[in-house]
Amino acid sequence: MDEKTVSVPENLPQELFARAEFHEEKLEDTGFSNYSYWRSTINTFFKSTTVKVVVALVLIMAAYTVIYPMVTERDPYTVSLSAREWNLPPSREHPFGTDGVGRDIWARVWFGTRTSLLLSVAVAVFEVGLGVVIGALWGFYRKLDTVMFAIYNTLTNVPSTIYLVLIAYIMKPSVVTIIIALVATGWIREARWFRSRILALREVDYNVASICLNTPTRRIIGRNVIPHLVSLIIMDAALTIPYSIGSEVFLSYIGVGLPADLCTLGNLVNQGRSAFLVYPFQMIFPTMILCFITVSFYIIGNKFADASDPKNHL
Amino acid sequence: MKEKIFEAKDVVIKFNLRGKVLTAIRGASIDLYHGETLAIVGESGSGKSVFTKSFIGMLDKNGWVESGTMKMDGVDFSQYKTEKEWLAIRGKKIAMVFQDPMTSLNPVKTVGEQIREVITWNFGTEKEEAKRQAIELLRQVGIPEPELRYRQYPHQFSGGMRQRVVIATAIACRPRILICDEPTTALDVTVQAQILELIKRLQKELDMSVIYITHDLGVVANVADRVAVIYAGQIVEHGLADEIFKDPRHPYTKALLRSLPQLGVRGHDLHSIKGSPPNLYKEIKGDAFAPRNPEAMKIDYVCEPPFFKVTDTHYAKTWLLSEQAADYRRELEQKNGEQELLPAAPVDFSSAEKLVQVKNLTVQFKLGRSRFSAVKNVTFDIHRGETLSLVGESGSGKTTIGKAILKICHSSGGDILYKGKSVIGKLPRQEMAAFRKSVQMIFQDPMASLNERAKVEYIISEGLYNFRLFKNDRERQDKVAQAMRSVGLLPEYVTRFPHEFSGGQRQRIGIARALALEPEFIVADEPISALDVSIRAQVINLLNKLKREKGFTYLFMAHDLSVVRFISDRIAVLYKGQLVELAEAEELFAHPLHPYTNALLQAAPVPDPDVERGKKVAVYNPAMHDYATDLPEWTEIRPGHFIRANRAELESYRRRLEAEA
Amino acid sequence: MGRYLLSKLGQAVVTISLVMLVVFTLLRFMPTAGYFSKEQWKDMTEAEKTAYLRNMGVLDPLPLQLKNFVTNLFRGDLGRSIVLYPNSPIGGILAEKIPYSILLNMISWFISAAIGLPLGVAMARSKGGLADKLGTVYVVIIRAVPSIIIHFFIQVFFSKWLGLPMLFYIEQPISWILPTISMSIGSIAGYGVWLRRYIVDEENKDYIKFARVKGLPQKYIMWRHVFRNAIVPIAINIPSDFLLMLSGSLVIESMYSIPGTGGLLIKSIKAMDNPMVQVLVLMYGALSVLGVFLGDIVVSFVDPRIKLVDSND
Repeated sequence: MDEKTVSVPENLPQELFARAEFHEEKLEDTGFSNYSYWRSTINTFFKSTTVKVVVALVLIMAAYTVIYPMVTERDPYTVSLSAREWNLPPSREHPFGTDGVGRDIWARVWFGTRTSLLLSVAVAVFEVGLGVVIGALWGFYRKLDTVMFAIYNTLTNVPSTIYLVLIAYIMKPSVVTIIIALVATGWIREARWFRSRILALREVDYNVASICLNTPTRRIIGRNVIPHLVSLIIMDAALTIPYSIGSEVFLSYIGVGLPADLCTLGNLVNQGRSAFLVYPFQMIFPTMILCFITVSFYIIGNKFADASDPKNHL
Repeated sequence: MKEKIFEAKDVVIKFNLRGKVLTAIRGASIDLYHGETLAIVGESGSGKSVFTKSFIGMLDKNGWVESGTMKMDGVDFSQYKTEKEWLAIRGKKIAMVFQDPMTSLNPVKTVGEQIREVITWNFGTEKEEAKRQAIELLRQVGIPEPELRYRQYPHQFSGGMRQRVVIATAIACRPRILICDEPTTALDVTVQAQILELIKRLQKELDMSVIYITHDLGVVANVADRVAVIYAGQIVEHGLADEIFKDPRHPYTKALLRSLPQLGVRGHDLHSIKGSPPNLYKEIKGDAFAPRNPEAMKIDYVCEPPFFKVTDTHYAKTWLLSEQAADYRRELEQKNGEQELLPAAPVDFSSAEKLVQVKNLTVQFKLGRSRFSAVKNVTFDIHRGETLSLVGESGSGKTTIGKAILKICHSSGGDILYKGKSVIGKLPRQEMAAFRKSVQMIFQDPMASLNERAKVEYIISEGLYNFRLFKNDRERQDKVAQAMRSVGLLPEYVTRFPHEFSGGQRQRIGIARALALEPEFIVADEPISALDVSIRAQVINLLNKLKREKGFTYLFMAHDLSVVRFISDRIAVLYKGQLVELAEAEELFAHPLHPYTNALLQAAPVPDPDVERGKKVAVYNPAMHDYATDLPEWTEIRPGHFIRANRAELESYRRRLEAEA
Repeated sequence: MGRYLLSKLGQAVVTISLVMLVVFTLLRFMPTAGYFSKEQWKDMTEAEKTAYLRNMGVLDPLPLQLKNFVTNLFRGDLGRSIVLYPNSPIGGILAEKIPYSILLNMISWFISAAIGLPLGVAMARSKGGLADKLGTVYVVIIRAVPSIIIHFFIQVFFSKWLGLPMLFYIEQPISWILPTISMSIGSIAGYGVWLRRYIVDEENKDYIKFARVKGLPQKYIMWRHVFRNAIVPIAINIPSDFLLMLSGSLVIESMYSIPGTGGLLIKSIKAMDNPMVQVLVLMYGALSVLGVFLGDIVVSFVDPRIKLVDSND
């Protein structure tokens, strides 16, 4: 906005001051990129070096825990009668040393990792699966509110460790017991969380449009609701894993965990703990592996949560 | 001309978005003079908000002022970086009012405290004195019982009242410039009129300059002394309000003014602007509007035009004003010789089949322990082939009526007949399916009405799948392509996801989805109010075209009477869940009887400064009716014109109609 | 307000009853060995055992047992321990232990708030910066590594490096240091990470932007607006945190041999002392429910909107 006369470039060719061709069809192409939600989520997720490294290591480790027990000849449960085999420090023969009765810790760690991973993955699947199904029902059927809120309050107002300890105490110690105990205390939070997400999605216009088009409810859930929740489901499952592994350690510390003779990371850590002052390696190695797993999944879950938010897409 | 108090010159603002640098403002300049109101008009994405936010250092963290100056009192603050530097400007020199009053106030502090803290902080005033001043400010912005209101929290205020509080806070430090960023967009039309009046009054009382940002040309006509039109990050034309409205020179300004639904002529297409505003990811060369301007010159694609002077106060940035374009101007003038369009005569549908009959419809919702009636005893018919508009403000129940007819919302009383059969309650499966196929909905918000995770192909096919409307996949694809073409989109776009389309295109995809089922009756819930001004005409023309070609019947919901005038055959006015008046469109505009209809009509801003200037705001107060003994009834006062009134009122309305005739 | 509190109180009563019912039912599935002392279990014949159990009322129908338990509860009789402290009244045992738990948890609660809240503010203010990154590393470690492992290393290494006692002695305040550190580190991370998130959320709100536009200085906005609002969702947990002190920390008390109530639960479970487990679990439950209820009250004071809004979503 200048009061001064505006300077006009001179010597513009006169033929430019004539009608230009008008391309109406071009106008409809607004030039938006061919963005895809999943591609962008994955790209954003793997943008971070931390994630690349962590995911690679987790994959390698997971593969190793599957392959090692199949190919190794070493039995993690073989006790040595010779005292010379007891409490050996790490060596070529025993990379993580041996424990108080001469069992090879390397073998025990990988068998233990397998048990713990299986256990925590099972918990993640059942807990999140149950949570999604019940959360979806809860979200779509208002009548369930009274019952579900009563259950919710009963289960969440008391710290879950209490229920966990109680269930583990009552039932016989076994892998199934721990899975049941963890799922029983965890599913309701998942259900509540998915309920609130589904409530928010349920009233969205495109679902109303689907109702107008006479789309059956199960297809509305399948096509319109669940696809928006998949990233949340993945993230939740990933975050359940460190919690399950931690709980296993906690339960075996309290004495209501898995049978002491079974190889699990929780048992290994707790057994190593008693010998820690004399033979620290017996605890350090299992602890390192355990912490690596929990920290990795924690980071993966959180980074995935960030990456799945379209606001953070690159 | 008055003293210039603020000047922004050649401002360039850039943003860092997803690793890319975008230029949001591409060298924009404005001047502001003492005591004037400058309106900056533009569509979403034009940069109008970003531009003004930069005057007080409120750009988002990823944005910055690349170059240019912003001067007030000889100080250039365009390169201020820290919050501390900005303290010298904010509140005291320039204040700002945001769009949404519901979120502008801190919910856990009393409104009084939120005003008082500004006074205390900026002037070091004693607490008691500051409180006294804050109460005075509340009174000044028209809040009744300010002493009591001072102690209340924001959630105890209505939207309009909150905006008054926000304005009181903004003027607490006597700023010399008040920036209003769409302050009434989130409010009802009648409340908007009151807020506009308040801003104008305060401007005079406090001798401020106001920068008013809006997309609504009606509002501009109401408030502005001067107008600057912004497009794609540049001011393209500026001048006195009269000059802009009566003698627009930039093709964009001209097209914008011509495409307004308020100016539509019944039976003819609106003048529509093709395409969508440019995407900032793309590089812009020459005149940014050229690709959407069928009359653009070759030079518009080559070289960015400078400002040309029209009068001392009026400048436009278009090559059309160049001396070299004189021949082309003449060519255009000859071609576009103004031909007056004659409005088509209203069609009488009263003898046509009653497609939808709503009888004494009542809808109640539970609200905590109590029940609340969103719709009370509403009765109307929709005849085959006509467009009936339901007009009302937020909370009037118009959407609820639409949803009840669509059977997405329960009804608590009365009856709804579709093709003569009641559709209340549970229908047998087959009947329900037939009903669903025949009745479709178009939504307000194109961003929310399409499933982001599905391709356009699935979205449009959804209904086809549900009703098995095809023999083989080939036929389904053909039907989808046909639906795409009839809403003006290329069929090859069906493999894309919704977010790859602009708002107007998404709205058309939503229409195509409904269209694919070949319905007979369409409920359109404010289908244009969320769209950009330049896009609205496209969608309205499309809806009218479909009506002509496919014989659709529409129920159209809107909050603004003036917009629906030209598309409606009949208009019904709703107030708090009750119909107050229903008449043929032109009849309603010629003889509005109910005081609420009158209030709505007067509140809606008209894009004509002459009309707006002399306007008085009429406030509708339901207490004006004396319904103590003489109860109101839904009466047909003359053929086709219904009104809710009691005997005494009917008598006076009749007399008025006779006098007018 | 009155109605709000009343409905919350009703909800708390219902919840406590349900918790009691659930716990009571679950405990009926416990091995009956938990009702005998070791000698009794060894010496008694099957018939004697059955008679003994019948005498205790354990074989009564569930509703009757529940009724007896509740009536005794209202008389202040919590029953008697069997295995751990043979035949001593549980009420007396708890009275002895609760002060220890209160003491330690009070201290660690103050430490958590005193460090955690500033940590959250610091992280939020330097969002993306050094403090934020360091804080995040701390939070990740604390939240991802099982707490037992962390507590164990604190006990072993800190006692060595700082020359502090590894076990707890009430008369030696220096020995309180390690347990309180252990108890606080988790909640420090909790307060830190949540406050950071709430502050960051608040800073993007329109009314914070409007406060900036009003010309208020950053510091004032930070404390009087952002922090004031961000603390609201934190406040709801304060009573719960505070009350759970009474129950103490399960692991830490047993680790440092603190004679509080938390260690007691673990001991009774290991010893299979059924009546003891029952009372302790119910106590935990009741305290948590009370904590949630008090949290609702606190929030109704800090958030003026609560008086109108129902909190179930």
